[in-house]
Amino acid sequence: MKFDLYDFYQKVKTKKILYFYCGPIAHSSIEAASYTLRKHLEFEEAGNSTTQAVFSIFIEQAQNILNYSAEKLGDQEDNQENELRIGVVVIGNEGDGGYFIYCGNRIYTKDIAQLKSKIEAVRNLSKEELKALYKETRRKEPEPGSKGAGLGLIEIARKSSRPLEYNFSTINKSFSFFSIRVVVER
Amino acid sequence: MNNLLIEKTKSTPAIQFDTLSKVLKISGESFPENTAKFYTPVLEWLKVYIEQLDADTEVTVEFEIIYFNSSTSKIFMTIFDMLEDAVENDKKICVNWRCDEKNETAIECGEEFKEDLDVLPFNLIIEGDQ
Repeated sequence: MKFDLYDFYQKVKTKKILYFYCGPIAHSSIEAASYTLRKHLEFEEAGNSTTQAVFSIFIEQAQNILNYSAEKLGDQEDNQENELRIGVVVIGNEGDGGYFIYCGNRIYTKDIAQLKSKIEAVRNLSKEELKALYKETRRKEPEPGSKGAGLGLIEIARKSSRPLEYNFSTINKSFSFFSIRVVVER
Repeated sequence: MNNLLIEKTKSTPAIQFDTLSKVLKISGESFPENTAKFYTPVLEWLKVYIEQLDADTEVTVEFEIIYFNSSTSKIFMTIFDMLEDAVENDKKICVNWRCDEKNETAIECGEEFKEDLDVLPFNLIIEGDQ
């Protein structure tokens, strides 16, 4: 069979995907993608607020993979600096000039309940309620096990134009796959 | 006391804390790989600097940030709380939050910090292209 990537390329194009990454994520990949993503949104004339919202959601999601994905390349507990965590990020056009940002990664099945309750706690709040929660959390001590400020999901919900959509698929007894879909309307 | 100078990178801001001009400037982007690790020396320097300030010295803290992530937001709040405490202890410190008129997000973020502060003078400075 003749080697041809055109078919795959066409499929990606028809789904109006601006950015697609699946694999191990390093901080330097996020830095590099940031530059390209901003340029791309600029060429699309997405507008400053839309660009900032898409950019911010991308950073929070990519850093969530970097901090929390349960799928790792390389190394063990004693050398966290040397490990790469695996996930998938997809950004594309969503009707009428908006954008979708999908993100997915493996999680431990035992962590589903906690993550679910975190998302549920923000997904139906109004913009005003989210602002209040963001400010309140910003001055609180971070929760044990949190590598950031515990603000990432609130930030994502604030920048999202619609309630966050998410899903957990079972991989096996220990692992599940977490997917989240965020939409920014123009 | 020595100045604190850290060069900017693609994901961390330039830190230019100059004890001679008494202008402490943070500028650029902030979404570090490890936010706590990057800002620990900054917070430590600030703590020592504030302690040795006398009541007559006027210090300006300049923020000129294009984008910052959520974990940086928490660090900035910690910095503002430190400065607010210092002002309550009669130190003369003010913050200039500078942003481009086209960067609505940065303007909004500045407003939200300002809303959460009581005594620290916090000036939102919106700049045009020129």
